[in-house]
Amino acid sequence: MSRAHLPHLLSRRAVLRGALGAGALAAAGPLLGACGGDGGGDALDPAAKPKLAGETLKVLVNQPNAGAFEVLRRTFKAETGADIQVTPVPYDKLLATAMLDAQSGAGQYDVIMYWYVGLGSLAEGGVLEDLTDYIKANPDIDTGDLLPSIYDPYTLYQGRRWGLPFDGDTHILFYNTELFEKYRLDAPKTWEDSNAAAEKITKDGRGEHYGVIVEGQQVPIILGCTFANRLVGFGGRFLDDNGRPALASEQAVAALQSLLDVAPHALPTPLQTGFDQALPAFLSGRAAQLEFWTDHSVKAQDPKQSKVVDKWDVVTLPIGGSNTAHNTSLDAGFALGVSKLSKKKEAAAAFVKFAASRKQNEAQIAVSTSGSDPVRTSTLSSQVFRKSFGRAADVVAEGLSGKPLVWPNGPEAPELLQTLVDELALALQGKQQARQTLEKVQSAWEKRLG
Amino acid sequence: MADSAIGRPAVRWGALRRHRARRWSGVSPWQAAPVTLALLVFTAYPLVYLVALALTESTLAQPLREWVGTDNFRAALENDVFTGSLWRSTVFAVLAASVQLVAGTALALALHARGRRLGLLGGFLLLPLVTPPVMVGVAWKLLLAPVGGALNGALGLAGLAPVNPLGDERGAFLALVVIDTWQWTPFVALLVYAALLGVPGELREAALLDGAGRLRLLVSVVLPYVRPALLAVLLLRLVGGFKVFDIVYVVTAGGPGAATNTSTYEIQRTALESFKVGTAAAETLLFSLVVGAVATLVAAVRRRAVRAER
Repeated sequence: MSRAHLPHLLSRRAVLRGALGAGALAAAGPLLGACGGDGGGDALDPAAKPKLAGETLKVLVNQPNAGAFEVLRRTFKAETGADIQVTPVPYDKLLATAMLDAQSGAGQYDVIMYWYVGLGSLAEGGVLEDLTDYIKANPDIDTGDLLPSIYDPYTLYQGRRWGLPFDGDTHILFYNTELFEKYRLDAPKTWEDSNAAAEKITKDGRGEHYGVIVEGQQVPIILGCTFANRLVGFGGRFLDDNGRPALASEQAVAALQSLLDVAPHALPTPLQTGFDQALPAFLSGRAAQLEFWTDHSVKAQDPKQSKVVDKWDVVTLPIGGSNTAHNTSLDAGFALGVSKLSKKKEAAAAFVKFAASRKQNEAQIAVSTSGSDPVRTSTLSSQVFRKSFGRAADVVAEGLSGKPLVWPNGPEAPELLQTLVDELALALQGKQQARQTLEKVQSAWEKRLG
Repeated sequence: MADSAIGRPAVRWGALRRHRARRWSGVSPWQAAPVTLALLVFTAYPLVYLVALALTESTLAQPLREWVGTDNFRAALENDVFTGSLWRSTVFAVLAASVQLVAGTALALALHARGRRLGLLGGFLLLPLVTPPVMVGVAWKLLLAPVGGALNGALGLAGLAPVNPLGDERGAFLALVVIDTWQWTPFVALLVYAALLGVPGELREAALLDGAGRLRLLVSVVLPYVRPALLAVLLLRLVGGFKVFDIVYVVTAGGPGAATNTSTYEIQRTALESFKVGTAAAETLLFSLVVGAVATLVAAVRRRAVRAER
């Protein structure tokens, strides 16, 4: 063909049209593939006894728990000859990282640590391997020893088990005993006590001291926890026994009202307050009350990090309104599962079993940098737990042994919680009242849950 | 006529276009292949995939699950947080770009008045530009922290009451405009400075000979001459303003409430925190329509300015 004829056949428009057509075809490939495939590899053989020596497992972990995996790595290697390669990820990126790993087909991780709120999303999304049969086939996991208050919320979805609990997180209320004595206040038993103490200290403290830290940053793991602590204190629930939203209840409204009442007396300003602001304020002795995870007690007693050594105490989360039963809330909390894309599923499951064992749970809580909390009944009665948690031990044991507030953990949970904190933030901003806020959330949740 | 005043050679645009058209029609398919491939990989594929996501039920783990038609677009438009973010993004982009253009032009004029060499000053000007936006955000967040922040520390030393711009709706939004302006004004200044260097000396001399003062010279000669360049810079910064994400993520996380929740931040939340990738794709397409509309408007004004100059 002569060059002279080319312009007719290959005009710019024709070239572009061809390019777009090819692009559409290229896009259609993964589109069709994604519609049809489940992305899984070979199923886990529950009865297999994998050879672990020489294996290296890749583990996706929550960054604050990275210290725990240093301990695990040493012991796992010593006992089995297998190594682990740890990838720590910030807590708020853990779910997205696991999902993108599965969606992209990369399969970079054999073991995935997950916040239990993401359980439904990970199971439905084909990210986690079903461990039900594996758990049944391995009675040495001793599921009877796993704390009943967390075993189901962390691992049970649609009647199947998708992991084993690893870090049983709950919040407790820390308070500065020196400031409480200075302002002649008693340890708070109710949210009304807590709010009154906050108001007095902030008012009399004149900018030097603040009565409370309200963590109100607009992310579920921060503002969601702050609200959940009051919700359980007032006797409310996120979902009722049938899984229906229960956020328009009188208890929930009273809980939010309590939060809105104390916000003006908190460390400025709640909506900006996250972990980075809250911890230094409490550890420097500027703020008198902080709801936080139980392992904070270790930091509070560390003179390198804290100016309040021996000047703090803890109480279980206060109660409010007509509620008389103290309960805690399962704020955060992590489990370990096996990636559906792993090519070493049997070895990965063996590691999950090892990490969630009684021996390892005790070993981790003995280390101040592990960020781990008890997941087993036996751990709560162990000497090492008493020694590590000190004055917080009784409060932690009481919370985990009771009936803590469980957060939603179905596939819609991330969206539900984002909606909740968006509306809570508007309430804290003074744009809407407590009842109006929770009725909006209730309506949005009902719509989403169908 | 400006053309004759500055002695530009007359260009026969029609002939030039015909010449270019002739050159294009002679391109062989092999010569066009790299460009075609680049178009496919970088433009067509992502766009087609984005549209496919927007028309299907897609989560982060399972994209393209089920055809849902326009449901994702409806969900996006019924979501007050997202529609509010479109408005906020537009206000942010227009406000920040305008402030940066005015401040950058003023800075460029001051630099130009010093002479034609920037020297060490040029290096200093580049500092905010080469600082990673995340670090810019962290620094400003520490500076503006209500307790222990450098700003309130300084105010305290001066015996003044503390302030908390990030705790206030309007204050937080304006703080982001200030931070963006701090980072990007030097960029604008450098571009405008380069444009000012292109103003012919003869043009200035002619105006001065005609009796124009400094202000008249600036308003009637220099600024009209560099107007196309100014509008191009404005367009660049507008698009940059629409795309702002890093400083929102670090400094305000979209708050307080939804006061600084820009569209880019909201799309990220929808996709990576709520895992609704289909809705996020629809939001992205709707957002690009808004950006496209504003950018087209400014581009049209610029084209008119270029034509007027010719």
